[in-house]
Amino acid sequence: MRPGIRPQEHWRSKRFRYMLEVLRCANCGTVNATRRSVCRRCRSTSLVRERLPERARLLAFTEVKSATDVHDEMAPYLVGLLEFEDGTRIVAQLTDADYEELRPGMEMEMVVRKIAQDGESGVIVYGFKFRPVVS
Amino acid sequence: MAGVGYTKVSEHWDRSLTELAAEAALAAVRDAGVERVDAIYFANAAAEITSHQMGISAIVSEELGLSGVPSVRVECGEASGMAALFQAHAAVSSGLAEVALVVGAEKLSDLMPEEFNTVFSMTLPYETMGFAGVTPTAIAALLYRVYMERYEVPQEFVAQFPALMHRNAKGVPHAQFPFEVKLEDVLSSPPVAPPLRRLECTAPCDGAAAVVLVSEESVGGARSGTVTKLAGVSLRTDYASPFDREDPLHLSSVALSVEEALLRSGIDRDELDVLELHDSFSIMAPLVLESAGFSPKGRSGLELKEGRFELGGELPINTFGGLKARGHPFGASALYQVAELHLQLTGRAGKNQLDRAKSGMAVSTTGFGALSGAAVLIGGDSA
Repeated sequence: MRPGIRPQEHWRSKRFRYMLEVLRCANCGTVNATRRSVCRRCRSTSLVRERLPERARLLAFTEVKSATDVHDEMAPYLVGLLEFEDGTRIVAQLTDADYEELRPGMEMEMVVRKIAQDGESGVIVYGFKFRPVVS
Repeated sequence: MAGVGYTKVSEHWDRSLTELAAEAALAAVRDAGVERVDAIYFANAAAEITSHQMGISAIVSEELGLSGVPSVRVECGEASGMAALFQAHAAVSSGLAEVALVVGAEKLSDLMPEEFNTVFSMTLPYETMGFAGVTPTAIAALLYRVYMERYEVPQEFVAQFPALMHRNAKGVPHAQFPFEVKLEDVLSSPPVAPPLRRLECTAPCDGAAAVVLVSEESVGGARSGTVTKLAGVSLRTDYASPFDREDPLHLSSVALSVEEALLRSGIDRDELDVLELHDSFSIMAPLVLESAGFSPKGRSGLELKEGRFELGGELPINTFGGLKARGHPFGASALYQVAELHLQLTGRAGKNQLDRAKSGMAVSTTGFGALSGAAVLIGGDSA
């Protein structure tokens, strides 16, 4: 049995995956990345939709050589740890750069790209990746 | 803890998940010499995927010839074994059961390599990481980078942990990889997610381990020397992504569960003679040691180099090879840890026997600290 991509799950999560939309707690400021009822830190119910900035700083990165069923076709691919201005951190795929070109501290920008495909006739998942800012 | 049992960790092409579970469980029941079992706790992470099975706890009870006995499957990823032990300890402590059997098993060798990656990735939050192809190897690599940069330590300080595990596993009959692997071999193995290399990871495997818990009242004094006391068990949770935590290098679920298990046991950290810790990746060993307060931050690699964690050292770790070399069959891993502690504390550890082991701790975790647990075992007269 191979758990593939569930279209409904991706549809539910599209605002995060296409636009980096999160829920910020109006009480304590914590960012909650997925739909939820209470803030994970203070349990306040005052959660406000917000889009994270499109730029972030690269803290660390790696290259995944061997991946899951639906991602393996894209391997090897780059994965980075990114930090936004407010201190929120996410892990995302990196693109439009070779491993050798990347440096910690680089400024990166969000783009929407193909993330995975569930077989030849299956669902294609798009979502955010980050690429170096070309100045 | 009155008895333990386990299979060799290997690729058991000819055996099913429940066959392996039964082999370990029946061995533990024989070892404990108990006449009956009041409750079964089956620790397993991925039976639905590896073995097409839900409701598997009833099948386990049937294969043990124990149909009729309450049987529950506990799933907490790589820490399923510790979570099952936590439940069984509660059942015996509360009087719900006098004899509880805890058995963990996993069957990962039937999976293709990408399927194994899919299953392992399920230990990470899917909606924010799994969907994007962020794998456990990627998370381990990122933590590794942050660790080396913050503490200004060379890679060999981290990569020597797998070499230690292989030294300890050498000649251990139940270990998946019972042979030495040198630091140079670790550092020259192919990168899987740089800086992380192949020999800094565990490998897909099958295995099962079991322990029998008996209430203090019913164990009596009759079997002194063959029993150990499960003095304290604790389980804690944290945010699923290490990078959502205040400090990604501090596994607070490890810190809190270790602290609580010690408190419940009434012993101090320095009194522990042996530690079995969760080294699913090389970097996890220093993170666990430092989060739990066994080493100062950034210093565990230096302490290993100085011999502190060797079999003859002040605090031996992973005396049969740990997850790296004995093997990491997810749901069974924590039960191998506690079974191995039991062997050490009852003088049955063979060539790996420590001189003066009176108390030991096992630390298990999943999702890089999303859920962790710790158990303290006390042997000898104090048991």
